[in-house]
Amino acid sequence: MNESKIQSHWWSKTLAGIFAGFFLSIGVVGIFAWLGPDGLTQHISEEQRLWKTQFNMWIITPIWLIVLSFVYLFRTGKQAWTWLGGFACLTIAIVAGLRGML
Amino acid sequence: MKIRSDILRTYQSVHTWTGITAGLLLFIGFFAGALTMFGSAIDDWATPPDYQLQQVATGQHDVLLRQVFAAYPDTVGNVTVSFDEHSSPVYWYDSGSAGGFSLDDQMMHATLDAQGKLVSELRHVNELSMLIDYLHRSAGIIGEIGHDQAGVYVLGIAAFLYFIALVSGLIFLLPSLLKSFFALRKEKGANRFWLDSHNLVGIASLPFHIIIAVTVVVFSFHDLFYAGLSQVYGDKPLFGGDEHHKEVRYEVSALPNLNDIRKRVEDYAPGYEVISINLRGLNSEHPSASVAVLSEASFMRGPHSDFLFMNPFTLEVDTSSVINGNGQQGVWGSVVKTFFGLHFGSYGGEIGRWLYFIMGLGGAFLFYSGNLIWLEKRRKKQQVTQSKSSNFMASLTVGVCLGSAIGIAGTFAASKWLTLTALNINIAYMWVYYSLFFAATIGAFALGAARFSLVGLHSFSLLCLIVPLTSLCGLLLPNMGIWVPSSTADLGVEAGALCFAIAGLVAAKRVKHRVYHGEVNSIWYCQKLTSSKASSAHLA
Repeated sequence: MNESKIQSHWWSKTLAGIFAGFFLSIGVVGIFAWLGPDGLTQHISEEQRLWKTQFNMWIITPIWLIVLSFVYLFRTGKQAWTWLGGFACLTIAIVAGLRGML
Repeated sequence: MKIRSDILRTYQSVHTWTGITAGLLLFIGFFAGALTMFGSAIDDWATPPDYQLQQVATGQHDVLLRQVFAAYPDTVGNVTVSFDEHSSPVYWYDSGSAGGFSLDDQMMHATLDAQGKLVSELRHVNELSMLIDYLHRSAGIIGEIGHDQAGVYVLGIAAFLYFIALVSGLIFLLPSLLKSFFALRKEKGANRFWLDSHNLVGIASLPFHIIIAVTVVVFSFHDLFYAGLSQVYGDKPLFGGDEHHKEVRYEVSALPNLNDIRKRVEDYAPGYEVISINLRGLNSEHPSASVAVLSEASFMRGPHSDFLFMNPFTLEVDTSSVINGNGQQGVWGSVVKTFFGLHFGSYGGEIGRWLYFIMGLGGAFLFYSGNLIWLEKRRKKQQVTQSKSSNFMASLTVGVCLGSAIGIAGTFAASKWLTLTALNINIAYMWVYYSLFFAATIGAFALGAARFSLVGLHSFSLLCLIVPLTSLCGLLLPNMGIWVPSSTADLGVEAGALCFAIAGLVAAKRVKHRVYHGEVNSIWYCQKLTSSKASSAHLA
């Protein structure tokens, strides 16, 4: 079998896209929420926060959907889990760190 | 564009499976969604002209509102003042609320008579558009989870599949896109023609579909996302914050004139027209006014309007979806507003609504044609008998798609007749819709896809035709209690019904052709009809 060809691995890739993808998008948005403009450490008005939090909530979905759509490009399910899971853990760890420190 | 063949094959499978699982749900969502673009026209058409009470002269709203407060003290909790000329000037929910979905909401309408005396009437909320909206958001799936219909979550999941189907469809179409985008190859047979149209509609309205998919996921699962965010935020609040608000309880008599409130709104949002003011908690520590404002030329946040929240006593504006530098919504507000507006199609006025109506129907076509392409591809060549699963899916596709259309057409056909009875019209709508939908689905399995589609398309056209015929009855027999169309919107609904009837008949003619003359391995081929015709021809 050709090593570089994409394997189907429907279930494991799909599950990686759903679960690891979800936490990855929460993590990415989390870093943005803390460090991005009008971030959580800044003093912003109630009105600014109202819209900024809605914005943060909205952008989770496009990130998650894009991850989920392109997860089938991973050669194997294991690779999908390694990469997505790895980055999900990394971003969530950064968010946890920011939460603790700031 | 060149893409590796294993990628193409992978995404072809992804497209097939996501499409076939989500397609039928999305069909109902899109068909009903296209109709919601004209929701207010539909309600206007479905209610008698005297349903709304007479609007009062400018300046009289204050007088009316004080009288309502005196006669119905509970209304200080929640009451709406409307300046729309087609609406009662003051109304409030006697039971039910604007938020939830319930079938026996009752609304009190109030106005002043010629002597300046308060007139109030209790009306059942007849909202045909509410049924359409319910089907749009839930695909008619029965049941509730938490504060939402179960169907909302099911459509949310369907929206995931839909997004993946869009991306995968695009990927495996890319290599041949430039070559065959505008090619509608009729000469290569009906299947090729369907495939070409499927691709054309999909690519041409791709941005619309991406927006719809993303927004539907958010509409369905925002609770989950906010829960996730609150973990991310830690001790920081999602909303609200450190600002200290003085909690003051005001006397209702201290409420400023409505004109002062309108003036404040017009200062904040110049160019916008105030449609209505919903006053809440006037005797509580958190009095609020949510003001619906309209500017057809602007991009709006809601389906029909923008909003502005303020304290009605101090006239302090909390926030508004009108973003013009007078508030602090910033770029975040603009982006969020854009997502909402792009889903609702509330920009570009009437033209925008028509465009969304057409793209909505185009979406319904996309899912229906997708299913057909899949079915035809899986059928065995040159053979009449097909596998059970293939027949099952064919019956399901035709039954569900036609069934939802027939169900909706049925509620329109029955609407004016139902108002002549003492029935709760919203419950009656449900019965009409679901009986027709299930009858059609069962019919499709009993008769088979081909034969049922003939019966179904004719029934659909007939039901659509009943809409203008009903009004004709009202015109010819004025004593019967059926009102005739009285506005452009009303006539639009009648004309729309007529167009759907014609479209149904044209489709029926095409199907008939394929039943008698099509390929024998097509799902439209119907052995019994064809052979009986052949034998009758033989006898003659």
